[in-house]
Amino acid sequence: MLLNLEAVTKNFGGFQLHPLTLSIERGEFFSLLGPSGCGKTTVLRLIGGFESPTSGRIILNGQDITSLPPHRRNIHTVFQRYALFPHLTVFENIAFPLRLKKMAASEICSRVTECLKLVEIEDLKDRRTHQISGGQAQRTALARALVAKPDLLLLDEPLSALDPELRMKMREELKTICKKVGITFLLVTHDQEEALQLSDRIAVFKAGQCLQVGTPKAIYEDPVDTFVARFIGSVNEIAGELQGEPSPETGELALASNAGNFKIKKNGHPLPRQVSVILRPEKMRLLRSKSTTQENLMEGEIQDQTYLGSRTEYSVKIGNSTFKVFEQELERLKKRRLNTGDRVFLAWRSDDAIVLPQQTV
Amino acid sequence: MKTTQYLPSSAWAFLIWLITMTLLPFTIILGMSFLERTELGTILFSFSLRNYQQLLDWVYLKVLVKTVWLALMATLSCLAIGFPVAYYLARVQGTMKSLGLILLFIPFWTNFILRIYGIVSLFGSNGILNQLLMFLGLPKASILYTRWGVYFGLVYNYLPFLVVPIYSSLEKLDPFLREAAFDLGATRFQTFRKVILPNIKEGLFIGSIFVFIPMLGEYVIPDLLGGAKEAFLGKVMVEQFFILQDWPLGSAIATMLSVLLLAALWLQNRWTSKGLAHAI
Repeated sequence: MLLNLEAVTKNFGGFQLHPLTLSIERGEFFSLLGPSGCGKTTVLRLIGGFESPTSGRIILNGQDITSLPPHRRNIHTVFQRYALFPHLTVFENIAFPLRLKKMAASEICSRVTECLKLVEIEDLKDRRTHQISGGQAQRTALARALVAKPDLLLLDEPLSALDPELRMKMREELKTICKKVGITFLLVTHDQEEALQLSDRIAVFKAGQCLQVGTPKAIYEDPVDTFVARFIGSVNEIAGELQGEPSPETGELALASNAGNFKIKKNGHPLPRQVSVILRPEKMRLLRSKSTTQENLMEGEIQDQTYLGSRTEYSVKIGNSTFKVFEQELERLKKRRLNTGDRVFLAWRSDDAIVLPQQTV
Repeated sequence: MKTTQYLPSSAWAFLIWLITMTLLPFTIILGMSFLERTELGTILFSFSLRNYQQLLDWVYLKVLVKTVWLALMATLSCLAIGFPVAYYLARVQGTMKSLGLILLFIPFWTNFILRIYGIVSLFGSNGILNQLLMFLGLPKASILYTRWGVYFGLVYNYLPFLVVPIYSSLEKLDPFLREAAFDLGATRFQTFRKVILPNIKEGLFIGSIFVFIPMLGEYVIPDLLGGAKEAFLGKVMVEQFFILQDWPLGSAIATMLSVLLLAALWLQNRWTSKGLAHAI
């Protein structure tokens, strides 16, 4: 393990970070994901040394760094607004940590040039920081944090200030660069799509508490609670009550709800009687006519539709609730398009439903 | 890049003010510094460099050196005292910041002459300081009517004028620059020397110039706190006008001070590409 947080807590103002135990492996791209105010930035600042924990220990490479100041930790940060030094050129910004180490000039030159190449800004090296664009500033900040080869690179919402197109491009590059340099990246973000795309593993935070740590797939397909499920991707929820005991062979269970009676399967967690069934919009199928071969079927009316090229997003009104369904546009010249007000059927399989204990909040 | 800028109509009043109250008097002073005067003190309209030659006299040079030296020391003292204050005010938040700024500005709301008389009563031979010293059984200190009185008066009076520009340049600095420097391995001292100082050096320079130059020409403080023995440039200048009736020579001293100010600002503009407007 590269980094271990051992029961780290932090109290200040009205905020409380619940005891956090977390391990990050060498070479991993790890994300802290959560809404603003959830404590993810606090965790980053604790690791960077800008805040000290109320209790607990932070171990880097087997060494206890809990009480070390930032400049004595081999951890560098890419700040949200880059924090480039305005009195220095791009080259000198990147050379800054090396000059502090009193490295030989030739060594500095070759290391900085290598980093300039890595982030593709060689031709900007003599510019001042006010003469470069946001994306270029981002690349400079990244190069500056990478040049001294830290054990761990912290990224504080690095892409949030970029326009969407540039953000998508930088995401791809961040991932490539992480694998190329072999340095462990720790990203803080509130953008679930960004976390899914970039991370090897994600930790989801809410109100100072880490709810779940796992691969993007595990977080998306097997969330531990309804908060995580709702935060990552879109969800449809059916609140209902479990009926009887699960079948010993298939694990199937009956669910009674306002939207009807359905067949579901237990996912392994112990469940109370009152449960929430989470259905992802892309895992439901939209049928034009009633089918008897489906495990679960709901009847409703198209309320709204949004054509997005590769798929169409439908809102289907069933009883008092609205369900979101995504349908891939598989044919260019589809014969029968659906219109608002059409009667449709939503089909889903018990394997695709996530069954979780009901939460009031 | 060159753009044509038109003066908004509302600025005309200010422009007229500038011309009549600044540019015109300055031109008159400049012109007068090249004139001669008669024995009776009236002005003789003939071109001459006599006044400037007279300034090179040892009597005036001694006053100039003494004044420059005192103003320099007072400026450096203002920097030494003012910098930590500005640094603290720029970083602290909330009540302490508002309180600090109010305390900094309170002297501006008190009449200048009253404040100087305050110093007189503090340092006078039977002033508060000496009464305290006597109470403690210590010998009296004579500060008033010496160059130390002038020095104290200058530092006291000009300190806020130096704190404000330093404060505003520190305030403009992204607070994350400090963190970034720490993060990249700089100690507190290295952060200050390699990141903070280079980014505020224009503010420091401009602030110092704006304090140093008026100190050179200061009249009231040396007059009230320095007594009769201490001759300073500002005092000598005023004496030329109102006691010795040598307006051309007084104008030459005034012109010299203005040229010093302009030269300092020109140098500052040369050193930094961004120039004056940026630093203020």
